[in-house]
Amino acid sequence: MAAETLGWWGVPLGILAGTLRGSAPFLFVSLGECLTEKSGKINLGLEGTLLMGAMSAYAISYLGSEKWGMTPAASPWLGVLVAGIAGMAMGFIHAWLSQQPKVNDIAVGIAMIIFGSGVAFFLGKPFIQPQAPQLPSIELGQLFSGLPALQSALKISPLFLIGLALAPLMNWFFNSTRPGLFVRAVGDSPDAALAMGVSIKKVRMLCIIAGSFLAGIGGAYLSLVYPGSWTERISSGQGLMAVALVIFARWNPIQCLWASLFFGGAQSIGPALQAVGIDQGYYLFNAAPYFLTLLIMILTCSPKKTLSGAPGALGTISG
Amino acid sequence: MTDVASQTEPNTLPDLHTITAPPELEVVNMTKRFGSLVALDNVSLHLKPATFHALLGENGAGKSTLVKCIMGFYKPDHGDVLINKHAQAIASPRDAHKYGIGMVYQHFTSVPAMTVAENLVLSRFDSQTVINWKQELDHLNAFMANAPFKVPVETPVGQLAAGEKQKLEILKQLYLKSKILILDEPTSVLTPAEADEVLGLIREQVTDGKLSVLIISHKFREVTSFCDEITVLRKGKYAGTGVVKDLSVAQMAEMMMGEKREPQKVEKTPHPEVVPVLELKDLHANKDNGVEAVHGVNLTVHSGEIVGIAGISGNGQRELVEVLAGQRSLTGGQVVVNGKPYFATRKEIDNNHVFVLPEEPLKNACVAHMSVAENLALRTFDKPPQAKGAMLIFKAIRDMATNLINTFKIKTPSPETPVGNLSGGNVQRTVLARELSSEKINLLIAANPCFGLDFAMVDYIHSQILNARNRGVAVLLVSEDLDELLKLSDRILVISGGTFAYESPIETADFAAIGHAMAGH
Amino acid sequence: MFSSTNWRKTAEAIAIPVGALLFSLVLFGLFCALCGKNPLAVYGLIYKSAFGNWRAFQGTLLRSAPLMLTALCTALPARLGLMIIGNEGALVMGGLASIIVGLTLSFGSVTPNAAQLQQVSGIPSFVVLAGMAIAGIIAGGVWIAIVGALRHYRAVNETISSLLMNYIAIAIMNQLVGGPIKDPGETIKASSFALPEVNRLANLPATRIHFGLLYGIIVCILAYILIQHTTFGFAARTAGGNVKAARIAGLPVGKLTIIICFLAGSCAGLAGMAEVAAVHGRVNESLVAGYGYTGILVAFVARYNPIACTLVAILLGGIISSGGALQRNLEMPDATVLVFQGLVFLVILYSDSLYGRFKIFKEPVITAPPPPSTSTTVPV
Repeated sequence: MAAETLGWWGVPLGILAGTLRGSAPFLFVSLGECLTEKSGKINLGLEGTLLMGAMSAYAISYLGSEKWGMTPAASPWLGVLVAGIAGMAMGFIHAWLSQQPKVNDIAVGIAMIIFGSGVAFFLGKPFIQPQAPQLPSIELGQLFSGLPALQSALKISPLFLIGLALAPLMNWFFNSTRPGLFVRAVGDSPDAALAMGVSIKKVRMLCIIAGSFLAGIGGAYLSLVYPGSWTERISSGQGLMAVALVIFARWNPIQCLWASLFFGGAQSIGPALQAVGIDQGYYLFNAAPYFLTLLIMILTCSPKKTLSGAPGALGTISG
Repeated sequence: MTDVASQTEPNTLPDLHTITAPPELEVVNMTKRFGSLVALDNVSLHLKPATFHALLGENGAGKSTLVKCIMGFYKPDHGDVLINKHAQAIASPRDAHKYGIGMVYQHFTSVPAMTVAENLVLSRFDSQTVINWKQELDHLNAFMANAPFKVPVETPVGQLAAGEKQKLEILKQLYLKSKILILDEPTSVLTPAEADEVLGLIREQVTDGKLSVLIISHKFREVTSFCDEITVLRKGKYAGTGVVKDLSVAQMAEMMMGEKREPQKVEKTPHPEVVPVLELKDLHANKDNGVEAVHGVNLTVHSGEIVGIAGISGNGQRELVEVLAGQRSLTGGQVVVNGKPYFATRKEIDNNHVFVLPEEPLKNACVAHMSVAENLALRTFDKPPQAKGAMLIFKAIRDMATNLINTFKIKTPSPETPVGNLSGGNVQRTVLARELSSEKINLLIAANPCFGLDFAMVDYIHSQILNARNRGVAVLLVSEDLDELLKLSDRILVISGGTFAYESPIETADFAAIGHAMAGH
Repeated sequence: MFSSTNWRKTAEAIAIPVGALLFSLVLFGLFCALCGKNPLAVYGLIYKSAFGNWRAFQGTLLRSAPLMLTALCTALPARLGLMIIGNEGALVMGGLASIIVGLTLSFGSVTPNAAQLQQVSGIPSFVVLAGMAIAGIIAGGVWIAIVGALRHYRAVNETISSLLMNYIAIAIMNQLVGGPIKDPGETIKASSFALPEVNRLANLPATRIHFGLLYGIIVCILAYILIQHTTFGFAARTAGGNVKAARIAGLPVGKLTIIICFLAGSCAGLAGMAEVAAVHGRVNESLVAGYGYTGILVAFVARYNPIACTLVAILLGGIISSGGALQRNLEMPDATVLVFQGLVFLVILYSDSLYGRFKIFKEPVITAPPPPSTSTTVPV
């Protein structure tokens, strides 16, 4: 980062750059969680899904270009696709298990975190060392400014743009399509949906799988865009924070977008300050997203009333 | 006039005036078993075109099973559904819709978070994926303009009043162009005036030859005012059919119950000296969603008195009871018991001998996976002889449970059986045993204590409550069953919109005025 | 309360988890086979390196000690209907508090200078250790009590908040050992100063197992008595089963929630103290060893029964301790253990849906007594 030349201006610029770079995983995972929760189930296991996505995307990107003779431009995209498919597999397990009688979806989520991270670390072990081709980014900065710092800040990944488009698309899906209305019906009033002849199990199965697909893509962003490597510490709880983020966004995809940008920004405070030489409280600043999530939950939840916008069948999330 | 074929085309404007005569529906020798239980035993029913037909029977007589077989929710073990004399296989509600049959359920089936328009569009059985809202809204507005009653199209259903929700359920069937309407106790959440309005408008449609109606009802008043014919079920068997204008209420009741029954004599001991036990002072409480449900009510219940509170459900009575039971915190005002402020802590409950019979006992007063014995000990487990210091004495808990199981005739395999495994009536008995067995009861709060129970059980609970009253207990009885209140109460109040709208001693209570107050005028 | 109908329930409660464990072993074998390893060799190695001989078994017991305690951090609140997974955070906070107290009592300062380091105070070792234990118990307890309070007063989902608290606890630890309580002499890993040898937690006679195992077993037994045999436990189980029923009975649900959460956190805090005082001697990143997360699994497999927690902790402790051998002898990644844990967790959850499905465990139906005397017409 070129913060040295900018002095104190590096801090807001660093946060801006961090927001543009770091919010995409939040965005994908929270949209995935939003879809899942709209159907009336919680998937806490998206943390595990995210790791599976990150690992499989990185592995495929590497294998594609090194072993299978793909071009380094194409193999990361195959990685993204496989990450989504890996996510769907995780989603299937979650959807099937959490819909068994007497099985609690939160507990399944915890199990999926352990299982997902276990499998990801197990299979990902050989890929920690090698360098995989990364996804390209769009150099938006060159259009506006010659400042190298600004240019590097305005490097934008196409995946982020897809995520940006996805939020209004999902909003439209919930409001103006029959399948979208069915999802809301299943999540808000399963009895009513049943009376309409909708299969609650099927709708939830599809929503959880689709949501996990998005989370898998979010994982691909982590390993192929930013931070752009595969290590066992690549996810810092984005999958968990997504659950709180969806509450904060009141189960609205558009607000998920704003919330993701906000969290991406919060996450970059620590590194931005460190870049201008402020080391004090580095770990605490890095924990800012967790503090923030907790604070938001404390402020938005209330024992006196149910949250507005909460899907009716989602009993366990807010009280 | 369009014919039946046009009805299956998606997106055609439903026009009530174009509807042809409803088909004839017959059920022939239908039998349905659930395991060893025979829910329906060789039952037949004939719904003639353009008639208003009532299906009568006590709880558990098989009425719901019968209509669910017609709708395709259940597959009957034997018997046929005939439509215009042809046997048709109905495997799902979608099939039923194909033959023009639609059902309005006892519980609302609209999605609260969605608007009226979204609910109506969603209810249509077509496969159009993307919704053109402009076009749909035009159609819906045109449909509403011709409908017998109106509901605001763009309001979320959750914000509608109960009466409007029920109207929406019926509108939904008209919108789907159902020509046979099956109504499952559609007026249980409506005021008498709302019920009359809704049924009256449907009656007009029937008289005009546009609809046939099969209604499940318990209310003879509705049957005599609106229905043409009745079919009666008793314990899963066909008990008879008849034309309403040829039958008296007594005859219908006899068909339902099998024999005449004298209403139980209510004997009340007068209490010359009464003291106030429960006082509510400007009590406020909120609903779950934070909206105020109880708007500052004042009430005093004296010893040896049953005060009845009538009202349509959803008018604040549930919240009121929950505050008194300690399940909900009040947002303003005060509860006073025996002259002292009362917050329903365990100590206050013990000192004042307060007991509660809440509605839905399994949900409100029992721990389903804990044993019958443990549930019976809920009020006493921390006092000698059931506890010694901080330790539980299991033998004492078990002895008391065995005792109560015998006294209150709770049917359970053993005191250790989880209470959730018992039948509804026996769960109720368990709670009754716990709440009424104490030697000293000072205040009893009961909410719909007899909901969903059979006559024998209702008589039993009524006698227990009266017994308590005659011993000098102050009783607050909240119920949606007006007959129950009129039978038991010494004084009756009506709650409407979170305030008391009517109050009268039982001797001078005026039925019409009570109905008027319940309607919120 | 044991009766003729109860043995079936007991048999079911043992048979289903055992069956689930066996089934997850089969699944794990399949996974190993898919990865090109001989499942039988893997099983054999796990058995040998966990339970094969006394030396190996000591290693297993060493790892099971903190697991028993962290499992209670999930198992106790579960009886109240709360799903708390802040075990790791409470352990870290307990370890952190105990080292601060331990160093202060030993050297008079958390960051002793060279002179102070030479001069270990005359306070008896058992007093230092008791002080450390109390500090760990309080710190862990308060940490999870916060979660309980947020749940009760703000309706904040306890699972999510406790998980976030894990990250926060680790950040606080890193911040402290990276600065305010850093030992400048320790260059490899940012760490606190070390406890003097005299004030370490001793081993059980003739073993290399520290006294923490004894703590674990005793605390589990106490927890069992508390839940099953005291009025407090009865109240907690009632509130956990149905809050509305508890409120009708006037039970103080909020107080119960916070006390149970405190006790739960204090167990994990004690585990942190034992790890610091017996194993590591100081606080650094090594304290975050995953005992918290495995503890959640132990609690689930034990179906929140504290006595069962001790046995399950030994079983899973064995599997963890075999991780190293798997890595050395079969060249399997250290995440193998995590995969196995995940599989066990998933299968155990599935087995929840099996309760009541097997006829053999069902109570025989007893013929109903006659209807009540008040009934004149319709039998119930």
